[in-house]
Amino acid sequence: MGKIRINGYCDPLNVKADEEIDFMISAENTKAVSSKIVRIAHGDENPLGPGFIENEVDSQFPDSLKVNRQFVQKGAFAKVEDKQDVLSLQESFTIFTFVRPNHLNGKRQSILGKWNINSNQGYGLGINPDGHFEFWMGNGTSVDKITSEVQILEKTWYFLCVTYNHKNSKVDLIQKGKINRYNSHFGPVVPYDYDSHISETFRLNINECKFDSDFIWAGATDFNKARQFFVTNLYNGKIDQSGIYEKVLSESEINTLLEGQKIHNENLIACWETSLGYTDDGIDDIIKDSGPNSLDAIGFNRPIRGMTGWNWAGKNDCFRLSPEEYGGIVFHDDALIDCNWKSNFKWKIPKNLPSGVYALKLNCKDIEEYIPFFIAPKKPKSKIAVLLPTFTYLAYANEHQPFWSPNCQTVTGHSPTLMESDIEMLKLAEFGLSTYDHHSDGSGCCFSSWRRPIANMRPKHRLSAMGFPWGLGADLSLLWWLENEGYDFEVITDHDLHKEGLPLLESYKVIINGTHPEYYSERMLDATEDYLSNGGRVIYSGGNGYYWVTAIKEDEPHCIEVRKLDYGSRSWQAFPGEGYLISTGECSGLWRARGRAPQKIVGIGLTAIGMDECQPFERMPDSFHRRVSWIFEGIGEKELIGDFGLVLDGAAGVEIDRYDLSLGTPPHALLLASSHGHSDNYPLSSEDIFFSLPGIGGTEEDRVRADIVFFNTANNGACLSIGSIAWSSSLPINNGDNNVGKIMRNAIDAFSTEGELPGSKYVGDEKLWR
Amino acid sequence: MSIFKLNSDKQITLQAIGQKSREYKLRPKNNSIWQKFRIPMSRRHLLKWRTSYNKKSLIKERRLEDKRPLWWFISLISLAGSIPWLSNFALSAVAIFCIYASINLLWSLTLGTAGIFSLATMAVVGVSGYIAATANVYFGVPWPLIFVIGTIAGLIFGGFLALPSSRLDGLYYALLTLGLAEICRVFISQIHALTPTNGSINNVSSFIPEDWYLQRPGLLLGAASSFVLLLLALLIYRLVNGETLGRKLQVARDDEEFAEAIGINYHSARLKVFLISCAGLGFIGAFYAMYFRSISLGVFSLDQLMLLFAMIVIGGTGRAEGAVVGTAIVILIDRGLFELGPMRIVIIAIVMILVTTYASNGITGIREQFRNFRHRFQTQKRSLITTKGGEIMPEEAIDIHNKQIIYSRRFNSRLRNYLKTLINDEVIAEHKANPVGKHSYELTRLLNYFRKAEVPDKYAVAQIGPLKDSQYKIFAFTGDPEKPPRVVDERVYSSKNEAYHAIFLLRVNDLLES
Repeated sequence: MGKIRINGYCDPLNVKADEEIDFMISAENTKAVSSKIVRIAHGDENPLGPGFIENEVDSQFPDSLKVNRQFVQKGAFAKVEDKQDVLSLQESFTIFTFVRPNHLNGKRQSILGKWNINSNQGYGLGINPDGHFEFWMGNGTSVDKITSEVQILEKTWYFLCVTYNHKNSKVDLIQKGKINRYNSHFGPVVPYDYDSHISETFRLNINECKFDSDFIWAGATDFNKARQFFVTNLYNGKIDQSGIYEKVLSESEINTLLEGQKIHNENLIACWETSLGYTDDGIDDIIKDSGPNSLDAIGFNRPIRGMTGWNWAGKNDCFRLSPEEYGGIVFHDDALIDCNWKSNFKWKIPKNLPSGVYALKLNCKDIEEYIPFFIAPKKPKSKIAVLLPTFTYLAYANEHQPFWSPNCQTVTGHSPTLMESDIEMLKLAEFGLSTYDHHSDGSGCCFSSWRRPIANMRPKHRLSAMGFPWGLGADLSLLWWLENEGYDFEVITDHDLHKEGLPLLESYKVIINGTHPEYYSERMLDATEDYLSNGGRVIYSGGNGYYWVTAIKEDEPHCIEVRKLDYGSRSWQAFPGEGYLISTGECSGLWRARGRAPQKIVGIGLTAIGMDECQPFERMPDSFHRRVSWIFEGIGEKELIGDFGLVLDGAAGVEIDRYDLSLGTPPHALLLASSHGHSDNYPLSSEDIFFSLPGIGGTEEDRVRADIVFFNTANNGACLSIGSIAWSSSLPINNGDNNVGKIMRNAIDAFSTEGELPGSKYVGDEKLWR
Repeated sequence: MSIFKLNSDKQITLQAIGQKSREYKLRPKNNSIWQKFRIPMSRRHLLKWRTSYNKKSLIKERRLEDKRPLWWFISLISLAGSIPWLSNFALSAVAIFCIYASINLLWSLTLGTAGIFSLATMAVVGVSGYIAATANVYFGVPWPLIFVIGTIAGLIFGGFLALPSSRLDGLYYALLTLGLAEICRVFISQIHALTPTNGSINNVSSFIPEDWYLQRPGLLLGAASSFVLLLLALLIYRLVNGETLGRKLQVARDDEEFAEAIGINYHSARLKVFLISCAGLGFIGAFYAMYFRSISLGVFSLDQLMLLFAMIVIGGTGRAEGAVVGTAIVILIDRGLFELGPMRIVIIAIVMILVTTYASNGITGIREQFRNFRHRFQTQKRSLITTKGGEIMPEEAIDIHNKQIIYSRRFNSRLRNYLKTLINDEVIAEHKANPVGKHSYELTRLLNYFRKAEVPDKYAVAQIGPLKDSQYKIFAFTGDPEKPPRVVDERVYSSKNEAYHAIFLLRVNDLLES
């Protein structure tokens, strides 16, 4: 018997009482798993802290679930619903397309076609294992093919056209380079002759061909007993404007198509206009056919749109300016948005469960799997809410940079620590990428979704690159501390905030952020900003927040989108002209680049990243002002704050934020405390570097520090910002009784009290004699 | 003054490289249509062309990837064209060459393609020849029909030969077939009716009219028909070896289990090839009897078989050109040096010994052997130079597409030379005391170099067991996202800092050894 494997996910990730949640599970080598719902109180198993704590809850959930193996269809492709069967060609035809193959991988890649690999039936236009364009068709026993003359050059636009005459089986395969000064990897100075025109006579006639599969973009159908029908021969690259005619087009007609003009005549079967469907708010997954049969292609695993087409002339950098230049749809063979597994159990959230972090715990022998989910209150009752950054959890989902990025150890400043699950997940290598990973063609991954197992969004997980808890695992330390201190609080998520906006925040006196709220949508930023300016109180206790412009489509919260642009700490960079989000139509990149640096909202923003050691905070002179000195009640004048912690033994570090008036920190903000003594593995963040200079490490650059900043807002509002990811991980030390906790307690107690804040009267001029 | 410098005593002389293209290549015109001709009734093209961009000029060049059809064409045309101009003696030599070459081609199918080590080749030819001659001389079957009789006889005899082939293998089967050939010879020599002619059947009627026999027209016709016979044998060889049957057997020879897994019936395919080969040999038997207008016991003799064997060994097994070139060489020595008498047999033996000693697969395999040899020589020479100086030679640089790699190697080699000077007990003690965080200049430089390394073989810590009492092992990445990291050794460390330091020591070691 093989190794038992259990993987699963839930949909949605965030729920409220009376709402339903589906659990999708795949298990190998077992038919049943024991199951129970647990409330997660603490995640990190670090012996310095409380350890892993879970509490079983009364949940009316079955004790065991029947499970089976579920398969993952990876790869982006699009399927045409051809109900009238007009794409089962039986006579003469012409198929044309504009393509930009991005990666020749030594395997066959199908671009367009109705091809069944298993039965050798149908036809297909694609790339052969040698890297040549090829058209093939088969009748089940024999396959005939025509191959273009020269090998394809990667990342180069081609016009590709095949004509077939059913009277004499004459086939022409025409390939023309369509490079301009902007659209391809190389420009016109490289003296390639991209063109090829082959003419041959097939032995096979198309009317001998049978069809038993769908018409697919960027893949072909295959079949096996266990998986049934699935799509493989996946294509890596762009496909633009394409079409099919039921006759052999003349040379002049082909030349018309070659110039990008359309021919709508009675012979047209399908004319896929890849640039149709754009609005100011983006585009969906449907590739529109403007021909007589309306053969729209539906994208699976989200083929990437908003990408430049063959005719991109370089002037317009957004599909909103010139949709007709944005017909390039990118397909990746390793894209995964939705596993589409069958639900093993649909569960209605009982009314009695308080808001919090929960998980479905599955066991079989010694193998366990936690599928975490978040219950937000149906009607907020507490004064305090913790806002868990679920957008950021998704952004990092299944991240595995140490396995491919040579820079990873340089950034973290130490060797990665692999957990068994990291190795296991990599062996499976099938649950998709994070927005930090690269697709097989080297380009960055811009989508991430919860509809797939996420190995690193598990309570005990420690991120391999860092070797300590990250995201959910780190945020649980904050939740444990609040509970341990006896606070009445509720848990809400980014997804709740994005959906409900300001009213959700206004139900609370205090909002406490998670450790790393890096990925933010405009709505989330707006709500936070409005909450603060209307008198809300925010404890932003985290690092590198409000950084990337992130979005979800209106009805698809499971999938976030981000395009990393020309500056900021980024593991990839979108190609020119491809920086706008198809989910909303807005420009992605850093919020700072769009005029909304995090300093403008919470007073601080990213200044440095390092993962070798953390430092404590030291009080700054402003902390002695009566406006804020209540925050430091019980803290000595020279006391080091947080010279301990579950993460690298300190409260200031990992990713740290600083006060900066030039970036919009409110002018009345007070600098209460700062860290000192960071190593050179904390270099100043790249968006602050205009000329590449030496001496930007933590031992030489004064901007490398974590700051604690306070400012009042209108209507008794206030913001306390503590710019360090490691902060909350210091809370559990000494069972929560420590000076980091003391500051949090002072702040939370005052923030959750109605009326004016303690020091707000001290606004007079200081008449000092000393 | 630079802190990085190359030690001058490690300098090596760099030589100019670069060659003009000596191969003729077509340059397809822009916008031209290439009408590709196919062999009728098939999906095959007559010639295998390959177009690629010249790596230096990026110009599109079309070259004949497989030039063998061209050589075949030239050789066969010149042979056919020369027939009218040859002497009578040479004509008979050509005919013998063609007949033997045909026999060898079919034998190659048995030996190479089917992998059946049968030595009964001449026995099949002989038995079929005898049966065909008998049918003609004693039963009055007209000559065109005895081709059919010969072929059927060969097929049936082949069927008998095939029976033990699944039971016996290699040497035993070879001996068995050798014995069978001898039995045939003894059997025929014992037939009373043939005693007066010493076992031979004479006056077989033939496609060569009786009054042309041994005359110029007869010799011309004989040579021409033998040539046609060779063409037929080549066609059969191509059809069997190049199409489904041969491809199946190719897969089976490479990996028998895989072949069975994908549903190839190895044994039946082998048998089919053997039977086809035997039927062909039967046809040749009939041709043989007609060409000589008689058939004698000599056809079964061991020296005949050995001569055939010499041809195949000299030419090289497993390819058509081997069978034909080998035959040509032996016939040339045997007929061309007729005056030398028995010495020519010695010469054949010498050639055979030379070829087997120095060529791994006959004369036609020499080209590939030479290429492999050159490649090996090149690799050895280059690795020697690289270990000496750490520099990339111009002749090595042409194979490196991304020139950044060439610079990186130079840079890193000099950097390593410098970093080696920074390693001392103090630095190691410093790291042991504090593997992460702020470090001295020397240690920082070393760590930056280690951390920036490429991912393949880069070390990582693996946490074994739950964190509370976990131990740590050292793993190394493969660099291939699909392949999980490998365990470096079985040592376990009780803290992460210990593991970090162990990695550091491994890296220092790697650096000092580089």
